[in-house]
Amino acid sequence: MKQQAVNAPMLNEPLSFRSRLKPIGIQIAVLIAPFIIFGIFLLFYDVNPIALYGSMLSSTFGDLYGFGEVLIKATPIILTGLAAALPARAGMINVGGEGQLAIGALFATWFAVFYLSSLPAALGIPLMLAAGALGGAVWAGITAFLKVKGNLNETISSLLLNYVAVFTVGFFVHGLLKDPDSFNWPFSPEISSALRLPIVNGTRLHVGIVIAVALVLIVWLVLKKTRMGFRIRVLGSNHLAAERAGFKVSWMQFGVLVAAGALAGIAGMIEIAGIEGRLRPSTGATYGYLGFLAAWMAWNHPLRLTITAFVLGMISVAGNSLEISSGLPSSSVHILMGLVLFFLLGSGRRLKK
Amino acid sequence: MIEEAVQHRSTSYLLQAKGLTKRFGALVANKDIDLDVERGSIHAVLGENGAGKSTLMKMLYGVYEPDEGEVWMDGEAVSLHPPVKARAKGIGMVFQDFRLVPALTVLDNVALAVSEGGWRLKRKQLRERILQVSAKYGLSVNPDAYVWQLDLGQRQRLEIVKVLLVPGTRVIIFDEPTSVLVPQEVEAFLNMLDLLRKDQYGILLITHKINEVLACADQVTVLRSGQITFQASREDGLDGDALIKAMMGVKTLKPVIKQSALVEKEPAAVLQVDNGTITGNHGETVLQHIQLTLRQGEITGVAGISGSGQRELAEVLFGLRQLSSGSLTIGGQEIKGGTRGFMEAGVSFVSEDPLKESVIPGFTILEHMVLDGIPMQAKGTGMDWKTIRAALESSEDARALALADADRRADTLSGGNVQRMVLSRALIRRPKILIISYPSRGLDIGTTHTIQQQLITLAEQGTAILLFSEDLDELFKLSDRLVVLSGKKLLGPYRPSETDTTEIGFRMLKGESA
Amino acid sequence: MITDILTGAIRSGTSVMLASQGELISERAGVINLGTEGSMLGGALGGFAVTVWTGNPWLGTLAGGLCGLLISAIHAFLVLTCHANQLATGLTIMFFAMGVTSFFGRGFVSEQIVGFNPVAIPYLSEIPFVGQVLFNHDPLTYLSFLLVPLLWFVLFRSRIGVILRATGEREEVLFANGINPKLVRYAAVLAGGFLAGVGGVQLSVAFTHSWVENMVQGRGVVAVALVIFASWKPIRAMIGAYLFGAAQALQLTVQQAGLPISPFFLFMVPYLLTLAALYIVERRQRSQTPEALSRVFTGTSSG
Repeated sequence: MKQQAVNAPMLNEPLSFRSRLKPIGIQIAVLIAPFIIFGIFLLFYDVNPIALYGSMLSSTFGDLYGFGEVLIKATPIILTGLAAALPARAGMINVGGEGQLAIGALFATWFAVFYLSSLPAALGIPLMLAAGALGGAVWAGITAFLKVKGNLNETISSLLLNYVAVFTVGFFVHGLLKDPDSFNWPFSPEISSALRLPIVNGTRLHVGIVIAVALVLIVWLVLKKTRMGFRIRVLGSNHLAAERAGFKVSWMQFGVLVAAGALAGIAGMIEIAGIEGRLRPSTGATYGYLGFLAAWMAWNHPLRLTITAFVLGMISVAGNSLEISSGLPSSSVHILMGLVLFFLLGSGRRLKK
Repeated sequence: MIEEAVQHRSTSYLLQAKGLTKRFGALVANKDIDLDVERGSIHAVLGENGAGKSTLMKMLYGVYEPDEGEVWMDGEAVSLHPPVKARAKGIGMVFQDFRLVPALTVLDNVALAVSEGGWRLKRKQLRERILQVSAKYGLSVNPDAYVWQLDLGQRQRLEIVKVLLVPGTRVIIFDEPTSVLVPQEVEAFLNMLDLLRKDQYGILLITHKINEVLACADQVTVLRSGQITFQASREDGLDGDALIKAMMGVKTLKPVIKQSALVEKEPAAVLQVDNGTITGNHGETVLQHIQLTLRQGEITGVAGISGSGQRELAEVLFGLRQLSSGSLTIGGQEIKGGTRGFMEAGVSFVSEDPLKESVIPGFTILEHMVLDGIPMQAKGTGMDWKTIRAALESSEDARALALADADRRADTLSGGNVQRMVLSRALIRRPKILIISYPSRGLDIGTTHTIQQQLITLAEQGTAILLFSEDLDELFKLSDRLVVLSGKKLLGPYRPSETDTTEIGFRMLKGESA
Repeated sequence: MITDILTGAIRSGTSVMLASQGELISERAGVINLGTEGSMLGGALGGFAVTVWTGNPWLGTLAGGLCGLLISAIHAFLVLTCHANQLATGLTIMFFAMGVTSFFGRGFVSEQIVGFNPVAIPYLSEIPFVGQVLFNHDPLTYLSFLLVPLLWFVLFRSRIGVILRATGEREEVLFANGINPKLVRYAAVLAGGFLAGVGGVQLSVAFTHSWVENMVQGRGVVAVALVIFASWKPIRAMIGAYLFGAAQALQLTVQQAGLPISPFFLFMVPYLLTLAALYIVERRQRSQTPEALSRVFTGTSSG
């Protein structure tokens, strides 16, 4: 260990030089390679990859509607991404965005349906948002409790709780929260129109993206500028040092995880109030994982996260056009996404820091 | 006749290094080293830290490939890199930082090193061989103990067993073997070396302790700045003064001066542990019936074989671990609120392994200062770095310790500079109590002196210091009182003026009954 | 009813058990593989497909194991050669495998197979209670019975086991002994992937006799959790897996008995049980975590 530290300055010189030249080439290759591989894969299925990529591009950037769709997809990814990035900066791995989003959506819908239905937008929407945040926070609170009190690794517990969350939502939409007029379909009643987020004309785009970006800025500022953020970064870099500096590590871990859950819970609320209007068993599915991956791609940096979330959102939207224009199932876009991530994972470490 | 004698000599060489040179970038770590190891003899390589001893050994064990020069064995030049080749040629090495897996048993660790017998593990056979070898050389190794249960001396003996059990071992390299041993163990170790010599092993002993060289070596090579400055054999006569001169060159160091305190009146007690018990990570009792008093302006030294509870005791005194029974008071008050409470009560802590426990990669020295050092000056919700920087720059302690630039990233610092950083941080707080573990471990003599002098100054200003060290000389030089950790007990205090290293060493080994 | 639950515990726990034994090998070598979920999915589909094509479930088992191995090879390559983050890589693989299997699995959703069926062992299965619980299973389950003691023996009584365990603790010691820890890790991850794949086969070819999109449903994640619960000991991992199986078997029993308990609550029980078991165990024994693994968990891993 000691020797490494001695050598570090020597090693740093050539690295900083290389890190200016080499990554550009690598980065381009890393970004293009998965599309080439996926293209070859498409050829086996008699789909012209160039035409397909073209239609993917035009469906996302071609018009306002498509671009709005990308932002709609990016919004929850940004928030669940923050839910992964913030704990990561404190040295924890939260993979529970999926479940935290679902429970946030559940809480938000529950409050919207039973308590907030007669309120005006100005009052109802913030309350519904708070309910969603509360739901996500409660769910993350379980993980946090298990970690702080039971020493239980948060990666495993948050991942397991994702499955429990899906069943919990299922339990409610089949029971207490089932729409009486649904002809036995499992979904909740629709929330009142006053609680729906305002929409940009000609698209489905709602103000959720504004909320998400605002939260990104807040998280970024907290981490960069405040004493609390400083403490979080110390904890994330070396938890032994944090302990030795007298930080209340358990409380910090608890607080950070709960805050992360709240962020993911807000994503759940936005899904309900912005898009679906009602809770379904599949509401927000895979956004938690996509958020985690977006955060990872952004090296847990909040500002960069907006970009990676946008890219993942774009690929998601393109998946729909894939299904329409080529007859391939939309799940094939997961293959493309997996490939993109594999290449990033394979090259990422060296570019870090 | 003469030819026959030459013939005889050359066959008795197990290993000959000829003109070995090794460079790391611009640094020449070893230059033109010639060295022979004969059958049934001990060749000592003497030198200060950084003289190039380790590099030389690593070339002979195949870790590094020499840039120039050759190693000869059995009358031909051989290639030893990587170490697998060196081992196949019969070279074994006992490293200073042992190559052991703590979570595995002694037997499993031996099985890793002795790779004969295919995929099967002949446990019964292996156990017998371990017992046999350890009995023969007085190593007393228990095959079924877990390595984490062993103290450093036992771990070293296990390393030796490993080397001896590898078939065909002829040359054994020891890297600073006595640095982890107490005086009595050193004696036993030298006896064992003698047994190995009688069994015709060739031994290469790396050390910086002249006494050991005088006690056992048949030949000696002295290194300084990567070059041989002296070579002699026992027949030529070995002279301690000549060795010192060859080792140190013409370098003089200002001695560390400590005024002996007047013992007429006992200074006030600031920290007291009464009948304390400490439990370890595996639920075992580490120390019990602890009676410890730290007094204002005094340095209390803690001696003990490594792993006798030093780490746990230090952690208790900084609130990182709790006493499982007994009381701990500072200024007569019980401390609540964990580490924060201890910090507020005026305790500072410099931990055993600052690189691991205190350094935050990517953070600058300045940023490290607000962790248990300069207070976190608030400025709104943020931090007032300007004031903090001013406080650091005006600190005399930081200047005395020659702290590196405040904007240097801590993970680019050398071990010595990290130590300076954590020590400056602790001193800036003007702590009432300082718990400091192994301040001079792995540092060069110059830095060690600075740090020792700084500790004495701090004590003179009234700080109560608890100093953990594995260097008995350092403890005797600095301490007003000494305590010994041994056999799950804290013994003492003893006055350094009324005892000596032999007695303390004895207590470290045998405990109270001595 | 107890007989039913215990029999069901083994029947539905075997897939998790196989995967957890595989994950145990990998984690003992210091690699945590959340992609186990993906390996199971790959194994479930690959095994099912080959069984459909050939009608031979043994070929299906082999194919499924190889699919699991291939998927774990991605993990091994990214983690060991490219030094990617283990947990992030595992998740990506999970995600990727969901995509790949739902893509290639489209055509198999309605397929029917004979697959493996319970074979009562003569005489033994006639022992009251025990015979029914233990000796009336599909061949893969019998093989899995043998796997556990075999794995125990290899881990704790062979040189391979010593090397494997040392790899998960201190790789520099292996270097010092001339063994390349990276190779050991590769082998461990691939072996783990193979077993997870076979676990997937058990699920689709022996247990449900069908392929459903994303049918593994977190069993791979549970397998990873169980290894921690089991403190990296094969026999305890087996017990954990059967506990999970029992919780699943409870669902069927309760539904058949017509008790008024929401099925969704019953679906949750196995996962909650896994969490509870982990919580209880983890409160006590942290020190047994292989060192290389605890570096992954605390984010201080070099690879």
